Amino acid sequence: MRRALRDNSLGLVFGLLFLIVLVAQGFAGHADFNQQQITAGLERVSLGRYLTSASFAADVAENWQSEYLQFFLYILLTTWLVQKGSPESKKPGKEGREADREQKVGRYATEDSPAWAHAGGLRRALLSNSLGLVMGLLFAGSWLAQSIAGAAAFNERQLRDLQEPVTWAEYLTEPDFWNRTLQNWQSELLAVASMVILSIYLRQRGSPESKPVGAPHDATGVEG
Amino acid sequence: MPRTAVLLTAALVTMTPAGCASLSERSSAAEQTARAFLQAVAGGDGAAACGALAPETEAEIDAPCEQSILSEALTAPSPVADSRVYGQSALVSFEDDAVFLAVFRDGWRVVAAGCTPRGERPYDCRIRG
Repeated sequence: MRRALRDNSLGLVFGLLFLIVLVAQGFAGHADFNQQQITAGLERVSLGRYLTSASFAADVAENWQSEYLQFFLYILLTTWLVQKGSPESKKPGKEGREADREQKVGRYATEDSPAWAHAGGLRRALLSNSLGLVMGLLFAGSWLAQSIAGAAAFNERQLRDLQEPVTWAEYLTEPDFWNRTLQNWQSELLAVASMVILSIYLRQRGSPESKPVGAPHDATGVEG
Repeated sequence: MPRTAVLLTAALVTMTPAGCASLSERSSAAEQTARAFLQAVAGGDGAAACGALAPETEAEIDAPCEQSILSEALTAPSPVADSRVYGQSALVSFEDDAVFLAVFRDGWRVVAAGCTPRGERPYDCRIRG
């Protein structure tokens, strides 16, 4: 048990932090929503009502979609693009999907390789692209959820302001949708660009996200 | 319709204003409240009409509300052209004008009435909070 906890501590801690912060967001969002209700001369809503509202769903989904987009792009672009000196990058010259031998698939699969690495055809293609595929699907699903919940939340505000509600298709052209979307995208892209570039010159001793402290600045694809 | 009857109708048809009722149930409840409000005005029952108003909206009406509301030139309810419910708010569009509503503890209440659209700008309403 103790060993299982230690072996999975990274995933467990992030999962726990996620839940704590999601609950905190629920409370903060509830207070914010009720402030808007009071300002409009309307009645407060219960926490349960807020947690099942389009407003909460849109706020959650808009952040999720940008996080999954970040990882989707990162996984895909680091296959084809390199950054000299970054531990996040492959070495220059290794761009692309690499040979079967390097990827340990087909006849190069080892005994402990996943079963589908031995297989051919669709199964191998799926396993070979599963990380990017799932991140891409999670991004698309979250973005769709943001658009649907966002349209309902937008319309609730429209009605509160005595304005005409819009259809889902119309909402996709509304500044509200694109402002919510793009403000998340730009922050994710900045974070990735910062990580790729800062990790060339800066170190974090013991972290696999950093090069070893003594590694030269131009060493690429070396993780500590 | 007496004031208590308007409120009771709104409360009964709204059932669970917190959102457990289906969208069509909530939409239908909002329609009934809007219609009951306009009927009360048209029928000269100022007390019932004022009882269906949201507190901020009622506060905007000159006192006594029961008399002033009858002089607001609100039209009798025509057939409902469309009704839309989003979260705590609703818009019921009649053929002649529109009514905005919001959910309160006892059900839907009228936030604005006698409203006509003005494109992207807020509706122009004869009474509003």
